[in-house]
Amino acid sequence: METRAVRLRHSLVTAWTLAAIVFIYIPTICIILASLTASRYFQFPIARWGLDWWQKTLNSIEIRQLLSTSITIALCVTVIAVTLAFFGALAFARYDWKGRSLYQKIILLPIFFPQSVLGLALLLWFNTLGLPLSWKTAVFAHLVWIVPVVTLVISIQVYSFDPALEEAAFDLGASRLQVLREVTLPVLFPGLFSGSLFAFLLSWGNFPLSLYTTGADTTVPEYLYAKMVAGYTPGVPVLGTISTIGAIVLLLGGYALITALRRTRASE
Amino acid sequence: MTAASPILSLQAVQKMFGPHAAVDSIDLDIAEGEFFTIVGPSGSGKTTLLRMLAGMDQPTSGNILLRGQYINNLPANKRPTCMVFQSLALFPHRTVGQNIEFPLKIRGEDPAKRKARALQLMDLLRLPQNYYSKNVMKCSGGERQRVALARALAYDPQILFFDEPLSAIDYKLRKTLEKELKDIHRETKKTFVYITHSLEEAMVMSDRIGVMRAGKLVQVGTPHEIYSSPNTRFVSEFVGDVNVIPVSLGSKNLLKSGLAPKGLKPPRVPEGFENGHLVIRPEYLRFLAKAGDADNALTGRLYNEYALGSRIQYQVRVGDTVFVVEKLRQQPFTGKLDDDVIIGWDAKDAILVTD
Amino acid sequence: MSPGLRSALPVVLFLIAGFAAPLIAVIWFSFMPARTFSFGGTPTLENYTTIIESSNYISFLWSLGLGAVTVTLLALICYPIAYGLVRIFGKWSTLITLLFTIPLFVSENIRLYGWVLFLIKNGVLLGTIKSVFGVEPESILFTLPAIVLGMVYVYFPFMLFPMTLGISMVPQDTRDAAMDLGASRWQVFREVELPLSMPGILIGCLLTFVLAVGAIAEAKVLGGQQIIPITHDIEIAFTYAQNWPLGAALSVLLMAVVGTLVLIVLRRFNLDQLLGRR
Repeated sequence: METRAVRLRHSLVTAWTLAAIVFIYIPTICIILASLTASRYFQFPIARWGLDWWQKTLNSIEIRQLLSTSITIALCVTVIAVTLAFFGALAFARYDWKGRSLYQKIILLPIFFPQSVLGLALLLWFNTLGLPLSWKTAVFAHLVWIVPVVTLVISIQVYSFDPALEEAAFDLGASRLQVLREVTLPVLFPGLFSGSLFAFLLSWGNFPLSLYTTGADTTVPEYLYAKMVAGYTPGVPVLGTISTIGAIVLLLGGYALITALRRTRASE
Repeated sequence: MTAASPILSLQAVQKMFGPHAAVDSIDLDIAEGEFFTIVGPSGSGKTTLLRMLAGMDQPTSGNILLRGQYINNLPANKRPTCMVFQSLALFPHRTVGQNIEFPLKIRGEDPAKRKARALQLMDLLRLPQNYYSKNVMKCSGGERQRVALARALAYDPQILFFDEPLSAIDYKLRKTLEKELKDIHRETKKTFVYITHSLEEAMVMSDRIGVMRAGKLVQVGTPHEIYSSPNTRFVSEFVGDVNVIPVSLGSKNLLKSGLAPKGLKPPRVPEGFENGHLVIRPEYLRFLAKAGDADNALTGRLYNEYALGSRIQYQVRVGDTVFVVEKLRQQPFTGKLDDDVIIGWDAKDAILVTD
Repeated sequence: MSPGLRSALPVVLFLIAGFAAPLIAVIWFSFMPARTFSFGGTPTLENYTTIIESSNYISFLWSLGLGAVTVTLLALICYPIAYGLVRIFGKWSTLITLLFTIPLFVSENIRLYGWVLFLIKNGVLLGTIKSVFGVEPESILFTLPAIVLGMVYVYFPFMLFPMTLGISMVPQDTRDAAMDLGASRWQVFREVELPLSMPGILIGCLLTFVLAVGAIAEAKVLGGQQIIPITHDIEIAFTYAQNWPLGAALSVLLMAVVGTLVLIVLRRFNLDQLLGRR
């Protein structure tokens, strides 16, 4: 009797979760459907299917410019964020030091901060410093939010890192740099990898920070927003689908890579 | 001891995990008021068995009877039994007092009564009364142990189960707590079922011990029986050091062994015995002045010496086999390392096992 | 200098330049005379008096109200899923977690636009209903429920993941022990499971509340400006109205509300424990 109640509860939870997954993917599916429509206006059920808008979008120079701006920003953010966050995570999780508890809370503050307000604050700040707005200021703005996130992601890996490994390497005659290269970095690699993935994807999809800090340069989410507010064009779903698929491929590819890496390590 | 009607009966209890039997058809009766310990190495199925007895798992087949009543599917919160977990499973967000009162609160007893009972139990377990409102996570290991036991006792169970609660405690404190637990058992007169991987721990506390191996109960008996008449090599090797000689039955009722060409005098030979092992505890081996001083004698070289406190242990090499000999410190012995020595034992002090 | 401080230094310096300094600039700017663009003016409280006399408080209430509704709905929606991830789904948990993670990396306004396509007249939902049943109900697009739907949708992972972390911190043993001591399922939940997973749940609530109060896109894309949240007021002050000091003052008030809440909640937590230090 008890087991039947347990089974019922389990099926309810499973059904609820499946419903949530469907809910989460409804908009993505709608975007993809819309991108495959041949007509100028979206109507469901779709009367004419076609890839015309894909062709038009991919051929547009403006779109290529957008993609290149977005990718450039995301790559710069990834490199800088992972470097800063690597050391940030060591301070967060590896070392016991006096200011650590306070430091941990300071790191969280930018995450717990409304991004649109942060974007405007940065706009005001760049203006005060007399910095002209461009994709470079956007990189800086993204970093303010992404560095703390990546620090947390890497910290989770650092928590399971045994400091005795470093000490053993020192003891065996390695220099500080050799310890970093031979022990610390390889052991923490999975954390650094997921950190890079987070950094790239969060920058790639960011809108509220980009909106106020890119100046004349435009990222994909900004462009999409401008088009959406202005009125429907089938280029929006196409670009949205590209953006979504790009993120999914990168995430699944990264996930597969890290799983494979863990397997080979375990089997060595 | 198992006379009258047992409080807990297991009949062919089995638990399958896929094709693997974690607990393999166990029959056992536990008597009212008994301190019964199940001993086994990790992976022998003892925790699985205990979880079934406590109602946290259900057997795949077989019956569990409590005072003759079938309780296989009675969930843990309806069984009049209670468990002290290996991790202790104290509620970290509660004080010592709230932890102990938990089962009483669940039962809906009024706060004043609850507190009185908690303080009474704290007294029984030698926990200072001012610990009542102390955060349980601020207590030391031994104190937590006592809180966990007090909480279980507050439930007023008919049987208390223990899942290796002392395994994470350092040696000296563990010895103290073992003795305390035995006292508590005597004072509360409840049935205790204890599991551990340490036969030494089981010996100190138990009325009876059951030894488990690979899901099966291989021997049940009093501590004395388990120690002095193990029925398998596995049980004999479970406590302390033993000397084990592979033997087979030869002519003239002597045992054939590669170590002694003339044969060894056996203890009582079980019926149908052909091959097996001769088991001799180190304290029954002794150094001999000449070979005739004991029923059996072997010549070897004194190889190592370890001081164990009140006893001294020696390793003696006979051919390629190393024997362990133990003697009390006060017994005289003048042998030095690398001396040739004669060791021997009387036939009745050895045990013959079939596997 | 300790190795900890040395490692922390780059991040700390960066956050001083990129987080603390801009916020101080905003605070300072909020005391500048209206419609000025430099720090040189005489400090004044006029922006704050303007806010008090204006109807900005309505936007404030909308933002806080929407935040509260979003948090409540998300807590109820996410708890069973988080519970399943920790206790029921077993090896499927990783895949399910991954499925819930992917949308995080797609710009939120693309996903909100997907909802527009779903909800709009002749869109996926109403188009299907029309072709199947031949009736055409009113679209909920550009109404308050659509905004709430969008917020629940966008901030879903921010509630789910901390909650999952919180529930995974409840040791199986303590649940078994409570059960063994006679507690019913409901009592186990109330006495042990809920209090022990509270840190994760609170972090999830805090995170979603803060993000929801700072939300802007949902109201614009799905709400069709039916409701003006405070972030929208701030944006207008900074952009169309060209009144930076007023925008700064509004930001300061929002920061004060959010900051107080964050500090109160975060003070109670031991992050090492939450994130799994051994």
